[in-house]
Amino acid sequence: MRAPPEDLKAADWFARSREAVQDPADEAPWLEWIQDTGHQQAYENCELAWELSAELRGSPTLTVLLAGADALVSRQRAPAAPAARPRWRVPVWQVGLAASLLALGAFAWLYLSGPMITEYSTAVGEQRTVALADGSTVFINTDSQVRVALSRNLRRVELSRGEALFSVSHDPGRPFEVHALQGVTTAVGTQFDVELTRGGAAVSVLEGTVTVGASGTATPALPVAVSAGSGVGYTQAGAVSELRPAEVNRIQGWRSQRIVFNDIALDTALAEYNRYTRTPIVLSDPALGSRHINGVFHIGDEAAFLSAMEQGLHLKATRATTQTVLEPEAGYTP
Amino acid sequence: MKHDQSQVSAGPADASYPLDLDGPEPSHRAYVTMLFNRHRVSLQRYLMRLVPPDDAAELVQESYYRLLRHGEMVRVDAMARSFLFQTATNLARDHHRRRATHRATLHIPIEDEEIAQDHLGPDEQLAGEQTRALLERAIADLPQDTRTVFLLHRFRDLTYPQIAEVMSLSGRTVARKMAEAMERLSAAVSEAT
Repeated sequence: MRAPPEDLKAADWFARSREAVQDPADEAPWLEWIQDTGHQQAYENCELAWELSAELRGSPTLTVLLAGADALVSRQRAPAAPAARPRWRVPVWQVGLAASLLALGAFAWLYLSGPMITEYSTAVGEQRTVALADGSTVFINTDSQVRVALSRNLRRVELSRGEALFSVSHDPGRPFEVHALQGVTTAVGTQFDVELTRGGAAVSVLEGTVTVGASGTATPALPVAVSAGSGVGYTQAGAVSELRPAEVNRIQGWRSQRIVFNDIALDTALAEYNRYTRTPIVLSDPALGSRHINGVFHIGDEAAFLSAMEQGLHLKATRATTQTVLEPEAGYTP
Repeated sequence: MKHDQSQVSAGPADASYPLDLDGPEPSHRAYVTMLFNRHRVSLQRYLMRLVPPDDAAELVQESYYRLLRHGEMVRVDAMARSFLFQTATNLARDHHRRRATHRATLHIPIEDEEIAQDHLGPDEQLAGEQTRALLERAIADLPQDTRTVFLLHRFRDLTYPQIAEVMSLSGRTVARKMAEAMERLSAAVSEAT
């Protein structure tokens, strides 16, 4: 049972503030509770204990204690032998040899064939929403490909091209993993976006918390926790960057078929725009790419985009079969 | 064609930026200011336990500017407050380190410089010797499960659901053990500072 707000003490509130998914119903009672000076002082003690405890990292006592905790985690993460599942063992003894052989045969088949894998992809300019059997939803952006495998213990998605936003249904017993390149993003119930970029992949978290780490066994670095409003990038090899703000505007934009440019360089804007079209827009002179643009455009509405280029930046568009070229208007000097 | 949605300018971002998917929200500056007004007294009292009073007031201001520059923030008050206090603590630590360096250069003769550098280690920490000892003892004395929950969350960045999974506990139990740990550790800290 979750304790009613009036019974909560400072340490309870502090523990609650660190939950991956916040209950919006807590906000009003919290604001009321923290107004009291005595409550504040008790809460400050928790904050002090939390912040100062970080400085113990590396002390001999803590190193020993941490080793104990780590051992527990690695024991738990080691894959359990499938034959140890009691569900299979009990009936086998009861029904006799023939049945047991049959059961073993069925088990081997299930085990070898593994969970069913479903593949979804989108063409350039296409977007797609897929409802998964576990209640999660995958929003697939332009020119992308995902493979989904749901099993009893794990929900595994592989992003092999493009970008997707995942709205993950809460299931602590069955982590939701998104594998892209050599990195893996893990959640149990949250909303986050994974995009394959030129040099690696980018993860943005919109709700809750995920962990991002390398999926290969070669790099034993610990996963990084990323909370709502933050994001990280990682390289091809799975080296994770520092935390940075999540690309909230861009992601909410593509979810509603819009491209959002907030004071960014034209060449970057065009690279983003061209993800959604088979006839890319290019610049006659790369030097034009450093000019900055603002705007919100509907995906696929090329006429509006080009007319904005003409009116706002005085760039004239010439269309050909394979691409559209933007060049400075004759006689215009910015 | 939706020409009304499209606009281009070569200047900086328009203040009334047209993307408004989640309804009206206060601007970042307004949010940070509100957060500050709510927690400033508490923050200053907190900082005064880490640095001299005059420095505390200065660090409060500095934390405010840091948050303004930070960009988007989670708008859940308790989480935003944690972020604010964490930022302030980091600033206090930098401050402490600068003070220590200053002291070292003032009082240590040049030929002893290397030795002086060695002595900076403990000065980089905000917790005094007594606080460290009491905190360390308090962690070691936690019941085993409670201690494991705290360590995995604090030093391994595991979330409650992840801890619940590796320890075969319910999410509620993890949160309760975390609260129990914080209760004991905060008592140790209040004894020490």
